[in-house]
Amino acid sequence: MSAPLPAGAGTPADFRLCPTTGRRIHLPGEALVKANAVVSIVALLIGAVAAILLVLTRWQAVHLLPAEWYYRVLTAHGMSMLIFFIIFFEMAVLHFASTALLNARAAAPRLSWAAFALMAGGALLVEAMIWGGKADVLFTSYVPLRAHPLYYLGIILFAVGALLVVGVFFANLVVAKRERRYTGSLPLVVYGAVTAAIIAVITLLHGAAIYVPTFLWLMNVDPQVYRLIWWALGHSSQQINVAAMVALWYMLGALTVGAVVLNEKISRLAFVLYILFISMASAHHLLVDPGMGSAWKVVNTSYFMYMAVLASMIHGFTVPAGMELGQRLRGVGSGLFGWLRRAPWGDPGFSSLVFSIVVFGFVGGITGVTIGTEQINIIVHNTLRSPGHFHATVVSGTAMAFMGTTYYLIPLVFRRKVAFWGFSRVQPYLFAGGMLVFTIFMTFAGSFGVPRRHWDISFSQAPFDVQFNPAVDLVLAIMALGGLTAAVAALGFVAVAVTSVFFGEPLGAITEGVELAGVPRGITHPPRHRPDVDRLNEELHAGRGAMGPAPGTLVLVFIFLAAFILYFFVNWKVLSAVWKIG
Amino acid sequence: MTHAPPTRDDPEPRDIPLGQRLFDNVFLLLVAGIVVMLVLYTGWGLWEVVTLDSSPLP
Amino acid sequence: MSAPVTPETHTGLDSPVGVWWKPAHRAEKLWVGIAFAWCMVLFAMMPLWHLKGGQNPSGIRRRTDPTAFYQRTQEFIAQYKVGTDRGMPIVEPPPGSDIYLAGMTFQWTPILRLRQGAEYTLHISSLDVNHGFSLFPVNVNFQVVPGYDYGLRVTPTSAGDFRIICNEFCGIGHHTMVGRVIVVDTAGRELARSEEAR
Repeated sequence: MSAPLPAGAGTPADFRLCPTTGRRIHLPGEALVKANAVVSIVALLIGAVAAILLVLTRWQAVHLLPAEWYYRVLTAHGMSMLIFFIIFFEMAVLHFASTALLNARAAAPRLSWAAFALMAGGALLVEAMIWGGKADVLFTSYVPLRAHPLYYLGIILFAVGALLVVGVFFANLVVAKRERRYTGSLPLVVYGAVTAAIIAVITLLHGAAIYVPTFLWLMNVDPQVYRLIWWALGHSSQQINVAAMVALWYMLGALTVGAVVLNEKISRLAFVLYILFISMASAHHLLVDPGMGSAWKVVNTSYFMYMAVLASMIHGFTVPAGMELGQRLRGVGSGLFGWLRRAPWGDPGFSSLVFSIVVFGFVGGITGVTIGTEQINIIVHNTLRSPGHFHATVVSGTAMAFMGTTYYLIPLVFRRKVAFWGFSRVQPYLFAGGMLVFTIFMTFAGSFGVPRRHWDISFSQAPFDVQFNPAVDLVLAIMALGGLTAAVAALGFVAVAVTSVFFGEPLGAITEGVELAGVPRGITHPPRHRPDVDRLNEELHAGRGAMGPAPGTLVLVFIFLAAFILYFFVNWKVLSAVWKIG
Repeated sequence: MTHAPPTRDDPEPRDIPLGQRLFDNVFLLLVAGIVVMLVLYTGWGLWEVVTLDSSPLP
Repeated sequence: MSAPVTPETHTGLDSPVGVWWKPAHRAEKLWVGIAFAWCMVLFAMMPLWHLKGGQNPSGIRRRTDPTAFYQRTQEFIAQYKVGTDRGMPIVEPPPGSDIYLAGMTFQWTPILRLRQGAEYTLHISSLDVNHGFSLFPVNVNFQVVPGYDYGLRVTPTSAGDFRIICNEFCGIGHHTMVGRVIVVDTAGRELARSEEAR
C-alpha cells in the first residue's frame, strides 16, 4: 500500500471504492463530474431543438421560421452546441481525468463549484440575451455587428469559470503526483485530457483578449483584428474537442474491448504535436481575408506543415489498432476482420466509439484538411461546405464520443442503469446514420454555391434572381431529413440520460458474465486480459513482418489514405476550372 | 480492470530517456503550446495587419 | 509475499511504469512514415499552386476606410458608367484597369460589365459590416471587410450573367443582398441565360 497521506488529503470517508474498476473515487470530485455532465446535456437539449427548427427552415419547401427568428435560433444553436454543451462536458472530463482516473482527490472543490456557478450563470445570461432578441449577431458576433453588452459579459463569465476549472485540473495533477496517488507517468487517457486542457488555455486567453475589449466597446475594435483573435477562440475551442474526443477514444476502447496502447511514445508524440501546432489552424477561417498575407496563411493553415494532421493520422491508426490488438489478445475473432465482426456492436459505448472514429476521420478529417488549404478555400468559404465539414467533426466525432462515454458514465459514476435500453442500443446507429446523410448532403449543396447562414436561397426579396441548379432543392430536403433523424436521436439520447440520472434504477450488484439490461457489456463482461498477455503480445508482434500485430487496421487506414488522396486532388481539379484569381 | 500497485521500483530519474521526461513535463508543454501559438499565429498575424500598406486607392 | 508483476501490455487507462520511450513496431513506423510523406505532399501543394496554379487569394491588399472607398467607387462609376439596371449603375471599365465593388447593407454596387479573357484588378471592400463575396455560379468566395481593400487580379474565363451572393451574415436583410456581374464573350456579345457556359 502507499505511504500515509499528508494532512488535508481527505479522509477515507470522502472516497468510495468502485466495484467495477477497483478505483478509489473521491466523492466531492465525483459530484463535480455529475453537475457538469448534467448541465451539458441541458445545453444539448436546447441545441437539438434549435437544430430541428433550423433544418426545417433551410428545407425551402417547409421554410418554418421567419427571417429574424432563423438568425436568432442559429445564434442559439451555435452557442448552445459549440460552447455550452461541449465545454461543460469537457469540464466533466477534466474533473474525471484528474481525480477518478488517478485514484486522486479533487484538490479545490469549493473553487471548482464557484467556477461552475460562473459558467452556469454566464451561460444563462447568454441564452437569455439570445432568445430575448438582444444578440442577433450569430455565434461569431463579428464587429461591427453589435449585441447587448450583457451578451459579451455572459461569455466572459463563462470563459473565466472555464479557465478556473482548467487551473484546478492542473492543480489536481500536481497534488495527485505529490501524494503519490499513481506511479509512473500519467495514463494516456489523462495525457489526452492534459492536451485538451492546454489547448483550452490557449483558446480562453484569446477569448478574453477579444471579448473584453468588445464588451467595453471603448474604441471600435478593428474588424480584421477581431476576426483574427476571435477565431483563435472559435476554432481552437473545437481543437479542445478533438483532444478530448481522442482521449475518450482510448478510454472507450479500453472499456469496451480492452484496447491496448501499442506504443506510448508514438501516441504521446501525437498529443504533443496537437499541443504545439493544432491551434494555428484557426487560420482556416481567414484564408480569403484581406488582412493577412499568403505566407502567414500557408504556415498557419497547415498546422505547421501538417504536423497536427500527422498527429491525427497517428491516432487514426493507434486507436483502432489498439482495439484490434485488445480483441486478438483475448482470442476474440480470427482472420483479418474477425476482431471487428465479433466486437460488441450491441454496446452503445462501442458503436458510438466506432462511428465517432469513422465519420470524424473519413468525412470530417478529409474534408477539413482539403477545404482548409489556402486556395481550395476559395471555392468553399461561407458556402454550406463549411458547416458540412464541421458537423462531421464536432457532431459526428466529438459529440458521439461524448454520448458513448455517457453510456458508461451513467452506471459507473451515477450508479444507475441506462434507461430505455432497447432504444439506447440503437441510438448511436440512428444518430450516426442521420448525421452521415446530413453532412454529405449539406456539403453537396455547398459545392453548388449554396451559402451558409442564409435564410432564403429562393432570393424572393432580392433585386436580381438567382437560379440554383434544380437539384439543390432535393439535396437540401434530403439534408433536412438526415438532420431531423439525427436531432431526434439526440433528443432521445437526452431523454435516456435525464431519465437514467434522475429516475433510473439503481445499479446494485453485478454478476460478471451475466448480461443485464441497462448495463453496457464492458461492465458485465469486462474485457480483461490474461495473465500471460505480455507473452501473447510478443507472439503477435514477432514474425508478422510489415503487416504487424494489427493487420486489419492497417488495411483500413490504407483505404482511408486512398479516399483522402482522391478527394484532395479532385478538389484541386475543380478549383482549376474557375476564374483566374491572384 | 483493477489498478494493481506495481512492484517494480520507480526507475532513477537519470535512467528515464530525455524524450520521456520532456513529454511528461506538463508545464513545459503548456508554455511551449502558448508560445508557438502566440508567435506564429497571433503575433505574426497582428504584425501582418498592422503593417498593411495604407497608401491611397489606385 | 510476492505479488504478481504488472504486465507491460496495458490500456490507455493504466499508468505506464518505468521506461515507455521505446521504438515502435515496423508496421507502426511504416504508417507514420507514409503519413508524414503525405503531410509533405499536402503542404507542398500550396506553394506549388502559387507558382503554377491559376487561383490564389493573394491579391494586392491595403488598409482603407469606408469613406475613401465609397468616394473612389463613386468616381469609378462616374468614369465608366454605360447604363443602369433596376436603379443600379452598370459600369464597363477597360481591361487591365483597377475596378471597384462596394458591399453595403444590403446591396453590391456597381454592376460590372467585363470581358471574357481580360484581366482586371477587382477591389472589394465593405462600407459598413462584414460581407461575403460569393460569385455565383462560378463559386469563388472572399471575405469583404470594412477598412480593408482586397485587390484581386481577376480574369473571367467564362461569359454570362453572374450573381454576387452575400454569404456573410450582415443583418436582417442579408438574404436580399444580391449583386450582378455581366461578362461579355471575346466577341463582345452578352450571352442569354440559357447559353451560359459555366
